[in-house]
Amino acid sequence: MADLIFSGISKTFAGARALDGIDARIQKGEFVALLGPSGCGKTTLLRLTAGFEVPDTGSVTLDGQVLAGPGTFVPPEDRNIGIVFQSYALWPHKTVAGNVAYPLEVRRLPVAERRRRVAEALDVTGLTAFADRAPAQLSGGQRQRVALARCLVADPRAVLLDEPLANLDLALRAAMQEAFAAFHRRTGATMLYVTHDQTEALAFADRVAVMQGGRIRQFDSPEALYDRPQDCFVAGFVGDGAVIALAATDTPIGGRIVVRAVGQPIQARCGSAAPTHICVRPEQVRIDPAGPIRARVSGCAYQGGRFRLVLETQGETLVAHAPRRAHPGEEMCLSLGSPWAFRDPAAQVFPQAMQDA
Amino acid sequence: MTAISGDAVSRSLDRLIPLLMLPVVLIALGPIMRLLAEALGIGSGLTLSHAAEVLGRDSTRIALWHSLVTAGSGTVIAVLIGAAFAFAVALTDIRAKGALVFCLMIPMMIPPQITALAWMQVTGPSSVLLRTLGAAPPLGSPQPLHSAWGIAVLLGIQHASIVFLTLRAGLRLIPGDLIEAARISGARGWRVWAQIVLPLSLPSLAAGGAMTFVTALGNFGIPAMLGIPARYSTLPTLIYQRLTGMGQSVLPEVAVLALLIGTVAIAGVLAGRLFLGRRAYGLAGLSAQPLTLSLGRRRPLVEMLLWIFIVLTLVVPLLALLATSLIPAYGVPLTAETATLRAWVEVLLNQPVTRRAYANSLFLAGLAALILMAVAIPLAWITSRRPTRMTRAVDTLIDLPYALPGVVLAISCILAFMRLPFGITLYGTLTIILLAYLSRFLVVMLRPVQAAIGQLDPAMEEAAASAGARLGRRLRTIVLPLAAPAAAAGAILVFLTAVNELTVSALLWTGGTETLGVVIFNLEDSGDTVMASALAASIVALVILLMGIVQLGSSRLPKGTVPWQI
Repeated sequence: MADLIFSGISKTFAGARALDGIDARIQKGEFVALLGPSGCGKTTLLRLTAGFEVPDTGSVTLDGQVLAGPGTFVPPEDRNIGIVFQSYALWPHKTVAGNVAYPLEVRRLPVAERRRRVAEALDVTGLTAFADRAPAQLSGGQRQRVALARCLVADPRAVLLDEPLANLDLALRAAMQEAFAAFHRRTGATMLYVTHDQTEALAFADRVAVMQGGRIRQFDSPEALYDRPQDCFVAGFVGDGAVIALAATDTPIGGRIVVRAVGQPIQARCGSAAPTHICVRPEQVRIDPAGPIRARVSGCAYQGGRFRLVLETQGETLVAHAPRRAHPGEEMCLSLGSPWAFRDPAAQVFPQAMQDA
Repeated sequence: MTAISGDAVSRSLDRLIPLLMLPVVLIALGPIMRLLAEALGIGSGLTLSHAAEVLGRDSTRIALWHSLVTAGSGTVIAVLIGAAFAFAVALTDIRAKGALVFCLMIPMMIPPQITALAWMQVTGPSSVLLRTLGAAPPLGSPQPLHSAWGIAVLLGIQHASIVFLTLRAGLRLIPGDLIEAARISGARGWRVWAQIVLPLSLPSLAAGGAMTFVTALGNFGIPAMLGIPARYSTLPTLIYQRLTGMGQSVLPEVAVLALLIGTVAIAGVLAGRLFLGRRAYGLAGLSAQPLTLSLGRRRPLVEMLLWIFIVLTLVVPLLALLATSLIPAYGVPLTAETATLRAWVEVLLNQPVTRRAYANSLFLAGLAALILMAVAIPLAWITSRRPTRMTRAVDTLIDLPYALPGVVLAISCILAFMRLPFGITLYGTLTIILLAYLSRFLVVMLRPVQAAIGQLDPAMEEAAASAGARLGRRLRTIVLPLAAPAAAAGAILVFLTAVNELTVSALLWTGGTETLGVVIFNLEDSGDTVMASALAASIVALVILLMGIVQLGSSRLPKGTVPWQI
């Protein structure tokens, strides 16, 4: 039972509901990203895990120990959970080595042991040469690594990262993502990573919890989120493409279903009995002179090696990739290759049965 | 690491908060509360008849009127001076702004009785400076500063920096693009100033005026030095004369007088807050571009006028003070032959009274600064990190002992500490002066530290908590080192203000516990002007030195720490 478990967690700030019934289980050694738009509650969930906030209801359990729950609260200093802040929160009056050594000083480790572990942590993060610098003398990426080294040196039970790349430029971001992933492979630490950037989340996390309005919408592997979203929010928020309401559906057989959308019968993949929407990814839209769907180009953007086309058809908007530039107003024919059909839990309008249509 | 019960986050804090808040409330606010009780006659039956009797007297009404007249006209003068400097410094491209502001701030940091003493050495028939220059009025002609006008002018000069600081802070809130918008619409120079800048800065000006009025109203040094010889009493000097003349028997009476001046002062404070609250309204601009109007060819002229003013109101009086301190006896003109350091040697090395006063003042100021520094860091941390209704109320109320006139606090302290349980009295000891200083200067220490802690990223402390550090360790290893520069600056400010302090100690001292402020006043009062000048000049040198130290460190301090660099 070496897992981080959230059960039934709710949290309200001044009447505003930040978290609303969060249930999740994160396995030991898992790298989990909390992904969502700003204000979705992801940072609150992180701070609850660290112990900076107290949940109104529900409990947080780590390795079988209740960290927060009815009548129980372990303060942050007793949790042995490491955290890397968005602002890094390096102490400006301490050197790099001083920052990294602090958690060990607090734990009263013998000096020799302390030195050895600081040197090790600096080595892992490639900071050995900077040990005696002040944080102000470091670049953004170096500060980030100091924050990481400081949180790892005490061998924490879990590592929390709060938008750790938000303050870095693009090139550095890619390098640091790589560093986090390599670090995770090496230490096997349980990592919880908050971000609003889906490329970050999808690239390295084992699983991603997509959050919105204080709830976890879907908690799945990146490829599952992309291929098999469970509701309209996840389908629209993760990855590119279109979410289209269905006009009619047939009965699903063996994970396949025939649905009617954009005026055409379409073969779709499906995981529920009565889907309401389909999610069409750009690679599922083929520009095909013999295709049944006629569409008009309304936008075209170059994306390095290909063009992203925005296409209007039957009052819906589709996104496709094309090898050649297209001009707004141009007409073309399309065919769709097995999009994903799902049932949105919040759907108000339901498709008709196919035979009636 | 077993789970512990309850809301542990707040539990460890809850133990700390009352521990710290209780003595703070008792010492900072207790005396003021005691004064209220006394005036309302609590203990001798709740009645206002005693208060009505004191308030009905002629002497009270005349002193109140004098206070209002001198403080009022002093405020007008301060507004004119402070506004001229603020507009010139904040809006135009004059050079050497830093030096100009530093010089304008010196009068604020110099004790008022020294200001009065220095000015008396400029004017009047016995002025050493005028006699040396051969320009002194004939002997026997009156000292022109011994008048209501003299008091008002010096109050105006002394407190001009309050208007200056408030107005400049307000001008900095005006986004530069408002001026640019006016200029692109075709307005230029004076029109921009009169139609855009002035209307927007009126609330700041009014707030600065209200604060100046309150400070001038409580000023004791200037009306004491200039008014008492002319039998022109204001409320603070009336209280002083009643209490020193009649002793403790008049305490209930002076308590009423203290409440009267306190009420007027609080009205002023509230008016100031009201104006300040209005000034930021709707001015949240995006442009960080500072306002700068180019003066063009008139720039040297404006600069010259400002510096001439500084020379006349700062350099000349201080030179006159220095000249008086260098003559062997009052009345002798200063020449190369007569110049002597005898008075300096006397006050600094020989006279037991002045040496004792130096020791007392330095000890009291140093101890007050140390104690307040120790209190301010945890207190500032609580008010900014764990605000509750109680901490917010205390945060507002601790302004009172500093904002209220010093005589009010002094009377409050006498009442509060005269008869303690077990027959203990603190009256006539250094302890009562120390307690009064702690109450009065807490806010001087607290605000810079609050500014520093407010600018600290809370994540710094959260990172330490995650690293396993408990509250005490976090305060010691993270908050303390980072707030230390601001605390040091605050401590120097407290020290500076306490060394200069006269109003409180004038009412609380007895033989053996005299402070520097009291001794200067007594020396001058007994006609020892040369010695008073030498002592005053030595204090001015100390003040400017301390201000210089703070100034040198100001670039490393958070914004808002150094009062003359708001």
